[in-house]
Amino acid sequence: MLIILAILLIIQFLQPERNYRLEKTEADISNLYQMPESVKAILQSSCYDCHSNSTDYPWYTSIQPFGWFMAYHIREGKSELNFNEFGNYSARRQKSKLKSIGESIRNGSMPLSSYTLLHQSAKLSKEEEYVVLKWITDIQSSSFFKK
Amino acid sequence: MKTLIIGAAVISLAFTTCTSGNKQNSTESMSKNTSETKSLEAGAGTTSTRRIVDSYIKLKNALTEDNDKDAANAGYELVKAFENFDKSSLNQEQAKEYTDIYEDAKEHAEHIGANAGNINHQREHFETLSKDVYDLVKSVGGAQKLYYTNCPMYNNNKGADWLSETKTIKNPYLGRKMPRCGTVKEEL
Repeated sequence: MLIILAILLIIQFLQPERNYRLEKTEADISNLYQMPESVKAILQSSCYDCHSNSTDYPWYTSIQPFGWFMAYHIREGKSELNFNEFGNYSARRQKSKLKSIGESIRNGSMPLSSYTLLHQSAKLSKEEEYVVLKWITDIQSSSFFKK
Repeated sequence: MKTLIIGAAVISLAFTTCTSGNKQNSTESMSKNTSETKSLEAGAGTTSTRRIVDSYIKLKNALTEDNDKDAANAGYELVKAFENFDKSSLNQEQAKEYTDIYEDAKEHAEHIGANAGNINHQREHFETLSKDVYDLVKSVGGAQKLYYTNCPMYNNNKGADWLSETKTIKNPYLGRKMPRCGTVKEEL
């Protein structure tokens, strides 16, 4: 028991690097496509913790190993999709990403249930789903997207 | 003492929510190993799109049979085929096009590889992947006769296309439910 406590104590000193960048990047998705405030608010609250350069860390992520799990999710999330770096994707990849975002929301795989379990406010209501999905279909039917 | 209890509770919660992710990782690395050995045997650095198209066709055929595991393996094989392609034989225009397609197609193939057990998700990625491979073949050449085929019914009648090595219709999107739904719209 004492050994477990000792290990738990030691790992508290091994904090993963934090995901935090203040300045808004040029490649931010809002610079590419018109983003209504309603959409921005939803994305920030439900998606940006893992899919942007700025994570809003709750208190328990200072406790290891929970902080590591969070860092892992953020790393995975950013490599899949980063809204702040969206403009750095080719047009082809942007199309693919938007399609995937729509599909993930529609089938409920995103936001991750393990995430919404601890962040109830990140859960997407039916209205919020509709708002984001409509925004995506609007972009997809815009002239930029037509081949 | 209280923080320790809360900490322990949070940790055990983290373990339960993240084990599903870990399970996925072990299957991922297993399939990755098999496709890695396959490509090592096949040899690296080919200037022909043959291996890319072959892996794509393998993937397509797995989906026609509703075989998500074979589809996943073919997906990883396709990733390797893309990685091993040598674009030094391409002209500047083609090389640019190839890189553009490669960055996107590779991700779709990876997703297909990582989603054995979720054939619907594999098919979603297969749709965009098919467009990528079509563009590749149009730009760089396909090393074999291919038939660009359309299924009008998939995805609530939005429809989707795929490349086939044969004129015979075998639908990868609807699989065994409706194997003969589709029309050839272009021969490559």
